[in-house]
Amino acid sequence: MPEPNGAVPTVTLTIDGHQVTVPRGTLIVEAAKRVRIEIPVFCYHHKMDPVGACRMCLVEISPGPPRPQTACTTPVAEGMVVRTNSPMAVSARADILEYELANHPLDCPVCDKGGECPLQDYTFRHGYPTSRINAPRRHFLKPIPLSERIALDRERCVLCYRCTRYYDEITWDQELTADHRGADSYITSQFGQPLRSIFSGNIIDLCPVGALTSRVWRFEARPWDMAYTGSVCSRCAVGCNVTLWERRNQLVRVTSRQNDEIDEGWICDRGRFEYTEVNRPDRIRVPQVEGREATWDEAMEALLDGIQGAGHRLGISIRRDVTNEELFCLWRLLQGPCRGARVALEGRTSLPAPGEDTLLIRDLDCARAIVVVASDTADDVPIVNLRIKKAVSKLGARLLIVHPDRLDLDRWPEAEHIRNRPGEAAAAVRELAGHPLLQEGPVAILWGDGRGSEDTRELAAAVAELATRVGGRSMPLYRATNERGALAAGLISGVPDDLEGCEAVICYGPPAPGRIPASARFVAVWDLLLRPEHGSPDVVLPALGFAETQGSYTNLEGRVQFLHPVLHPEPPLREGWEVLCELGQRLKVREMDFVGIFQLQRAAARAIPQFAALASPPEPEPQPTPVLYGPARP
Amino acid sequence: MTDETERPARRNPLQDVAALAQGLRTTLAEVMRPVVTTQYPEEKSPRAERYRGRHYLRRYDNGLERCIGCELCAAACPVGCILVIAAENTEDHRVSPGERYAKVYEINMLRCIFCGYCEEACPVQAIVLGPEYELSDVSRERFIYTKDMLLEPNPAQQEPIVVR
Ligand code: SF4
Ligand code: SF4
Ligand code: SF4
Ligand code: SF4
Ligand code: FES
Repeated sequence: MPEPNGAVPTVTLTIDGHQVTVPRGTLIVEAAKRVRIEIPVFCYHHKMDPVGACRMCLVEISPGPPRPQTACTTPVAEGMVVRTNSPMAVSARADILEYELANHPLDCPVCDKGGECPLQDYTFRHGYPTSRINAPRRHFLKPIPLSERIALDRERCVLCYRCTRYYDEITWDQELTADHRGADSYITSQFGQPLRSIFSGNIIDLCPVGALTSRVWRFEARPWDMAYTGSVCSRCAVGCNVTLWERRNQLVRVTSRQNDEIDEGWICDRGRFEYTEVNRPDRIRVPQVEGREATWDEAMEALLDGIQGAGHRLGISIRRDVTNEELFCLWRLLQGPCRGARVALEGRTSLPAPGEDTLLIRDLDCARAIVVVASDTADDVPIVNLRIKKAVSKLGARLLIVHPDRLDLDRWPEAEHIRNRPGEAAAAVRELAGHPLLQEGPVAILWGDGRGSEDTRELAAAVAELATRVGGRSMPLYRATNERGALAAGLISGVPDDLEGCEAVICYGPPAPGRIPASARFVAVWDLLLRPEHGSPDVVLPALGFAETQGSYTNLEGRVQFLHPVLHPEPPLREGWEVLCELGQRLKVREMDFVGIFQLQRAAARAIPQFAALASPPEPEPQPTPVLYGPARP
Repeated sequence: MTDETERPARRNPLQDVAALAQGLRTTLAEVMRPVVTTQYPEEKSPRAERYRGRHYLRRYDNGLERCIGCELCAAACPVGCILVIAAENTEDHRVSPGERYAKVYEINMLRCIFCGYCEEACPVQAIVLGPEYELSDVSRERFIYTKDMLLEPNPAQQEPIVVR
């Protein structure tokens, strides 16, 4: 509770002789992190409520009863003295580890968690050096597929309940549960059904042992085989931060990378599992002209011949994860020789450009009321959906939904759902101003395009009007990864894309919207793979995937985030911006002869105000080094 | 220390004869002693029981491979000359007991220093260093020993070891 003057009262305590001052209510585990003292935990997770299930975090606290206590459930108090290295605490932790290992199969050599497993690490740092247990261990059939993407190994489970709590608290999906009691408990999916949630992959990261592992990258690599970079997800406009892992120039897995401004350490299953295209053996690696392999030079000539004179009958379809840099190049082309060409963006909404002061994702945490209009957020913006759930269930925001159908968010018992007829969301929003749930601000209004069923211009006006009347702010929920960047560059607008009638089409990525127009007499495809929707193109150019290209995306709140490629494409593969610049030079566009991406980014920052952040790309983050500290083993 | 310019003292010729006899005696004595030279390559000297030479990948008696593709040997190898790529056993394609096997197993014999750490690290005693030490070859590529070269013959099928 803040004091009247707004300051949060603090508490000073001593942990292993280090004084630390933290806000009142902080848990001892969190306070210990401030002085870099490791208290091992299994069940505690900083984004979920503590439960004290595993007893791994035992410490000695004085004043207090003369027995070990759990650091993950005990809040700090003034003058408290915590000892993690007293004989009592050290042997308590070692004893708990001995219990954890009593039934553990110790199949580390075949376990995908091996090498990055807290149970291994804690046993080395806090456990007894040898085992005294030779009783029979409990056995289960294994591995059990929980879904197409996740395998469960019950023998390895330490029953920390992180996975089930995640499903209850964070996603509200409640697809996992613990069956039986006490030492007989085991994790199972509800009614033995396969997991269907789009958020299921996070339990792989959450599980502190190898009980929940990915079936997509099963046995692909060991942690020490892989190089990694911190990058950004390319699947939707939320822009979650991810870590990309590489082995032998293949992208082997994608994991979350916590950024509290956006994702709070969660990513959805699209971001986690839909990365395999870039590894496909049938990937396009060499340009082709009329089905024959060609040099870039020949392919470019053929492309220029094909689009020559097309004028406003030229159509350019762009993939959803086009980078800001490529958008800037396209903008230059459309200002110059390709003026009048029509542009379509794959998988986008028909929402107009955002207004001035749009809401940020983190602002949802302070909202007192959240209005969701014409969007199934679980599908459109998955991780924003989790942020809404957190604001509603943990921070006490009220939830108002305007949508024709039953949604994922309706599982909140107190959610108020106004069912409009499809296409009439604007009218429903206009009636909300006096709604009792919106009397206390700040109000956050999140609105989508109803998957094309709403008139977005009218809805934009209605939302803006509501925002002024209730004193709230709004956030348009774009879907395509860099939709907001494309709007900023003026390449698309609030009307649905249509390339019908175009005679020459350049198709960067899967065709938008949906297919190559029948009127096209010349088609150039620039993609990783030749897809059935592409038909039989005249020119084929190889493109790069998001894990190997330089550049940046603008997410749905307008934040520019940079990619850090983990793969190194081999010639003749080329960066997208290089190809576009060469095209520009061949079309005699001035100022497209950039010597490197930094020069291009500075030019883009000068030319387009929303791209100003491109002028100062951040240094790649230093890779975190694991810290080995904490008390010696007994 | 004698001055270099100083002439050696004149010696008795009998002393020279005695030295000759001594040399001949040593020679004749050696002729009588047993021969210790090995006529390599026609003859080979015995290897110590724990000699560390060319690697083998072992099998169980039922023919299944021991190696579970855990990569611990590759992690232990101080020169990084082992490559393991693992894959999952299935019902119709069972290579080793358990869930995991090595789809690719390669050792670069040019880099290997025959330290035996791989053998030490292996949790299932799959990789062992054998007594064979004649590993010379004519091109670098041929020093990459692949899994089919390293595997023991299958007792169930009695295939010969591939020796190139
Ligand atoms: S499966 Fe993993 S996360 Fe779930 S209870 Fe077991 S150890 Fe914990
Ligand atoms: S919510 Fe969007 S950005 Fe985040 S992980 Fe899923 S697809 Fe990627
Ligand atoms: S013997 Fe030593 S150097 Fe050779 S493969 Fe084994 S661990 Fe590596
Ligand atoms: S040889 Fe042994 S250590 Fe190496 S991968 Fe196979 S089982 Fe693991
Ligand atoms: S971490 Fe404290 S009881 Fe599990």
